[in-house]
Amino acid sequence: MKKTIFTTILAASALVFAGCNSEEAANENTGESGAFEPSKNIEMVAPAGAGGGWDTTAREVARVFGETGIVEKNMTVINKEGGGGAIAWAYIHGQDDSPYNLFVSSPPLMFVPLNGQSEYGHEDFTPLANMIADYGAFAVSADSEWEDLNDLFDQMKEDPESVTVVGTSSPGSMDHMQFVRIAKAAGVDPKKIKYVSDQDGGALTSVLNGSVDVFSTGVGEVVEQVRAGNIKVLGVTAEERMEGEILSDFPTAIEQGIDESFINWRGFFGPPNMDQAAVDYYEEKFKELSESEEFAEVRKKYGWNEMYLNSEEYEEFLNNEYKEIEVLLEEIGLGN
Amino acid sequence: MNAFDGMITGFQVALSWEGILFVLIGVIVGTLIGMMPGLGPISAIAIMIPITYGMDPAPALVMMAGVYYGAVFGGSTSSILLNAPGISGTVATAFDGYPMAQQGKAGKALAIAAIASFFGGTVSVIMLMLLAPALSSVAISFGPPAYFALMLMGLTAISSLSEGSTIKAMIAAVAGVMVVTIGIDPQTGTQRFTFGNVNLFDGFDFLIIALGLFAIAEVCMLVLNRKNRSLSDDQKLGSLKVTRADLKEMSGPMTRQSFVGFILGVLPGAGATIASFISYIFEKRISKNPEEFGKGSIKGLAAPESSNNAATSGAFVPLLSLGIPGSGTTAVMLGAFLVLGVQPGPLLMTDRPEIFWGIIASMYLGNIFLLILNLPLIPYLAKILSIPRPLLISLVIMFSLIGVYSISFNVFDLYMLLVFGALGFAMRVFSFPAPPFILAFILGGMMEQAFRQSMTISNGNLAIFVDSPLPLSLILIAFFSLVIPGLLKWRSRRKLAKM
Repeated sequence: MKKTIFTTILAASALVFAGCNSEEAANENTGESGAFEPSKNIEMVAPAGAGGGWDTTAREVARVFGETGIVEKNMTVINKEGGGGAIAWAYIHGQDDSPYNLFVSSPPLMFVPLNGQSEYGHEDFTPLANMIADYGAFAVSADSEWEDLNDLFDQMKEDPESVTVVGTSSPGSMDHMQFVRIAKAAGVDPKKIKYVSDQDGGALTSVLNGSVDVFSTGVGEVVEQVRAGNIKVLGVTAEERMEGEILSDFPTAIEQGIDESFINWRGFFGPPNMDQAAVDYYEEKFKELSESEEFAEVRKKYGWNEMYLNSEEYEEFLNNEYKEIEVLLEEIGLGN
Repeated sequence: MNAFDGMITGFQVALSWEGILFVLIGVIVGTLIGMMPGLGPISAIAIMIPITYGMDPAPALVMMAGVYYGAVFGGSTSSILLNAPGISGTVATAFDGYPMAQQGKAGKALAIAAIASFFGGTVSVIMLMLLAPALSSVAISFGPPAYFALMLMGLTAISSLSEGSTIKAMIAAVAGVMVVTIGIDPQTGTQRFTFGNVNLFDGFDFLIIALGLFAIAEVCMLVLNRKNRSLSDDQKLGSLKVTRADLKEMSGPMTRQSFVGFILGVLPGAGATIASFISYIFEKRISKNPEEFGKGSIKGLAAPESSNNAATSGAFVPLLSLGIPGSGTTAVMLGAFLVLGVQPGPLLMTDRPEIFWGIIASMYLGNIFLLILNLPLIPYLAKILSIPRPLLISLVIMFSLIGVYSISFNVFDLYMLLVFGALGFAMRVFSFPAPPFILAFILGGMMEQAFRQSMTISNGNLAIFVDSPLPLSLILIAFFSLVIPGLLKWRSRRKLAKM
């Protein structure tokens, strides 16, 4: 009898795990009368593992949708990890015209395909709404002699070999390209920027111990370190000063005479060929969510900035961004 | 606030009824999930995140921490009983734990693992308490050149991880390094050996390889050799009793490897898996009877078990005091902190002392709970071995599949598990050792990245590895650990020749 206890526990947990991942493969289209109203649960894919930015956004959005009753049907978040998002995108692409399969994404939806690492990019999906803006920050060790971006870029113009930039994404992706974009606008030769990628958690430590010089990352990653006096931020990629304690101390590149910015946008998409009625429905719901007090709380908690764009505005914004990045990648010899 | 005041604050959190309850829940969930082959702390923590929504952060995080070290604690069970690593940090546990179980000492092996885990966990919590603020400087002292040297040092141990043919061990290691290059290269973004298949872009998860080479291969061997395995129930369980002599034998490795494990845990990127391997090799190197290792040595079991648990506590140093997640698991932990509105980092200790010290204090309690929970369970756990073999084999296969599927819910990974299972089986048949393959896979990837990062930083100048004392001393250790055994052998041979 007793020896079966363990087996039973194992089997029970197995069921739980199996249950966690039941996928809704069925594809049906409602919306006969023009207006779309979901008739079953909506699946929201986070194209990464638990705990990251995409996952948090998807879970918070699904939670607030449910708690406020803005969307009546349940939203289930599932994680599809792998290939920097490519696995999830391939999966969503297979759910052609389903109005029940949404996913969250951000600039990697352009960087990853542009670097030849995903078959599908933003133009293959139906943009529904953008929700959040985040910005990049360029940080150096607190005892660095550079006081602002111009000090750094002057040295890079003079002796490009002496400066190494570190980020957590691979070359040609976000951390790299946001730096290239600002540096190029300041007159640095983008081909000569030395960038190393550290995906094992060592990027910040390498800046703190002086192995590398500049950390290119998101503003959210540096606030605590700045507060503790370990690093200083030479500049951020926002267009205007951000709001909030510490954040409002960060000078923008534009303020320093470098006319360039970079937005780490984050929003929601559906599969290709999503019905216009469903697009209208979600666009409206996301707008309501973005304007709700409850979601304002969420933004505050994570330090996200509001940036709502409806489907049409979103598409236009994405197309413009795409063109800029494409040119930049070509210039430094990466990309397709 | 000094460590003493801090601990008083911490124990107030940990010893409140809420604290005790959530530590208990955390460690129970953690041990159970850890015991299942393939399901590790990442899945455990990810599952717990939604449960903690709206909870008070201190008990919630105390629980999450419990899940984490509980999983590492429980992870040894299936390594020992089934040769199927419960989590990646317990692969090395199987090297001597499984042979012990095969010799009919399963109960004893589990008890030794539990004691070593408890010891490693407790020693490292004491270090965490006393040294966490100071150790944050150790965590940041390693730059790319030092990481390269550290991994190189680990790789020199390959020859000591294998019995028999050194050539075969080297071939296995080279294959491990080759397999780790599969995927998108982080330094250039170029695809290597992916054949354009999106499922290969991230390379292979360590667990796929560990479960394939160990669990699946072992199952194949069991099927093949079914005749010669007919131990009676009594022999299978064996005596639970850990004698005084056993304790004496394991005390040395436990003490040493708790320190080694803790320090390696502190380094971002190193973690419990690397720590357990290095500790195992360390003990084998200094042992007077290295030939006992791999055949059911108590030292060989106690070393990785105290080390991986110590490394788990060590991983809290960069997480709590710097806000740096040093591993996949602590990255998910970081996510859990953020969801609860707590930002780990240099200011956590002053801003939220009840959380910082509460987690540390709860770990004392958690380790005691784990020992009390696990020891009485051992007779029942060991009876798993008396499950009829066909059923047991099916269970191992099933749990390996579930474990691998839970990594990223990708069916492709399941096929890869079978591929590595077949490879592991072939390696057994042709007597290629699997541990060098695994070690090279773990260390090779980081070593390559660290080397190339260093080369970019130094503009291609190799002097970067000898310019500063830390990488230089690690490289010297690596060098001598390769040369000295050879010299000793040569000398003893000459002596023999003279005689």
